[in-house]
Amino acid sequence: MQSYTFRIAKSKIISVILTLVTLVSTIPFLLVLYFIVKNGISVINWEFITHLPTPVGEPGGGILNALVGTVILIFIALILSVPFGVLVGIFLAEKSGSKISFFVRMMSEILQGVPSIVVGIIAYLWVVKPMGHFSALSGGVALGIMMLPVIIKSTEEILKLIPVEIKEASLALGVPYYKTILRVMLPAGLSGILSGILAGIARIAGETAPLLFTAFGNPFLNFNILKPISAMSLLIFNYAISPYEDWWAKAWGASCILVFFVLTLNVITRIISSRK
Amino acid sequence: MKISISQSLAKLILLFGFLFQFLSIPVFSQDRELLGAGATFPYVLYSKMFDAYYKQTNVKVNYQSIGSGGGIRQLKEKTVDFGASDAFLSDEQLREFDSPVLHIPTCLGAVVITYNLPGNPQLKLTPDVIADIFLGKIKKWNDPRITNLNPGINLPNLNITVVHRSDGSGTTFVFTDYLSKVSNEWAQKVGRGTSVAWPVGLGGKGNEGVTGLVKQIPGAVGYVELIYAKQNKLPQALVKNKSGKFINPELSSISAAGKTKIPDDTRISITDTDAEDGYPISSFTWILVYKEQNYKGRSLERAKQLVKLLWWIVHEGQAYTEPLDYAKLPGEVVKKAEKIIKSITYNGKPVYQEVGIK
Repeated sequence: MQSYTFRIAKSKIISVILTLVTLVSTIPFLLVLYFIVKNGISVINWEFITHLPTPVGEPGGGILNALVGTVILIFIALILSVPFGVLVGIFLAEKSGSKISFFVRMMSEILQGVPSIVVGIIAYLWVVKPMGHFSALSGGVALGIMMLPVIIKSTEEILKLIPVEIKEASLALGVPYYKTILRVMLPAGLSGILSGILAGIARIAGETAPLLFTAFGNPFLNFNILKPISAMSLLIFNYAISPYEDWWAKAWGASCILVFFVLTLNVITRIISSRK
Repeated sequence: MKISISQSLAKLILLFGFLFQFLSIPVFSQDRELLGAGATFPYVLYSKMFDAYYKQTNVKVNYQSIGSGGGIRQLKEKTVDFGASDAFLSDEQLREFDSPVLHIPTCLGAVVITYNLPGNPQLKLTPDVIADIFLGKIKKWNDPRITNLNPGINLPNLNITVVHRSDGSGTTFVFTDYLSKVSNEWAQKVGRGTSVAWPVGLGGKGNEGVTGLVKQIPGAVGYVELIYAKQNKLPQALVKNKSGKFINPELSSISAAGKTKIPDDTRISITDTDAEDGYPISSFTWILVYKEQNYKGRSLERAKQLVKLLWWIVHEGQAYTEPLDYAKLPGEVVKKAEKIIKSITYNGKPVYQEVGIK
């Protein structure tokens, strides 16, 4: 039999190793953050976020078109996917044992695994081809499809966590079923649903592939959802593969803004979902 | 509870109002916008040109570089006003379109041979040596066939690492087109295309990928667009042309490569050019448009804007080429381009007369 001290020492060694390994897993993220901040922060200033891009060789210029574009695209995606996603989530939570639920749940999980470029092609076939031109709307459709599974899943999960007694109490008081859902269940799960939506936004904010053949990009400022629109991810992609240092710097700056946007969303999501 | 329902209803109405505001923005400015897509190579030039054009005429031209293949495809789908490509369409490709397509040359570019050697001397290379390097037959930098061409340059005993494109690309087409013309072995074993089966080497994605690999690997050799080599301060080899001269890839020699016999539709490969002072791995890049502009409910106004833009690109627009390291169209080619632009019709009637072009 091994001695007592040896076993304690072994346990300590293992736990130190495990802690180290856990810390190592954060290194890639910290490195990404470090390089993006190091290269990007110096580019960001007031002009960078309030001006349109200038062609190569001209100083100044910003990424206003991409900022506006990303906001509009997210907005369209939200309008399309939130009502759908929340309703489907409610259905899955309420009828969780039914065959339809099983089928829908499986489809939604498969949808989550579909590569984003494929979603882009689907939006191209559904929206761009029938309309005959690229548009912000088609980009929003692509992003909306990508968000859908995240919202469905989080709505379903949070509603299932609500104690069934609350629902029973409401029904026992004579509140109709639909009102129980809308006035009791949804408010109780609101923070979870909200954090699901935020997680969905964080998921799509940096997507490039679904936008290449839908939102298409636009060097000019555009508010019309039926016309092509730029996005942060598209701009970063185009600038990063260009031969110009000036554009590389702007790609870093735009990446920095995008990463902090997504990071903020994730932090807010954490705060909301950890609050009781 | 009632109040809160009506409140949320009001919010919903507001939300929809906001949405419809977007939707209902009148399309008054539709004909002051043009959409183009295609080749990556002229992207920087086009973005500069179209920025200047917007300042002069208030017409917005949105060009997105999705690759030559993508540009051809989107023109076929009629989702864009013009496509752009570094490789001209073959007769077979043209037949796939349901209406005739015109090629308008906009500028010239060159593919340069770049490398990573100690001190980065400027090497002289002949077509057969280039082909054999990329075929993997010349394996060392101090191979007598290279050193004989470069007396006075001390080449190290270093392995040659070939770097090529991993993605389909107009650059690859131009380079392999050149190699197919100068080397029978290349033409038979590998051939030309936007992506080919490379006998040796590493692949990098895009010009930027090849540039990056060449910079990292001592002894590497690759081919990139001139501008990428220049911006990254990589050396560029002098290449021996058909007339026996070693030509430095620079704007004047690239432009000169276009001074050869050009067919009226400008669909020609000018690699291995006959021009005496021409750099042999040069190429035109084209904008592609439909000859008949009345398709899919397009307005005459839009056709006019397109013709005006094309006319501007081959004339005033040429001033923007050289500052950005693109080579200008030679005068004779501009004349050919004029003729092609004048042949654009709307309902069978030439459009150029209506926009005041003589």
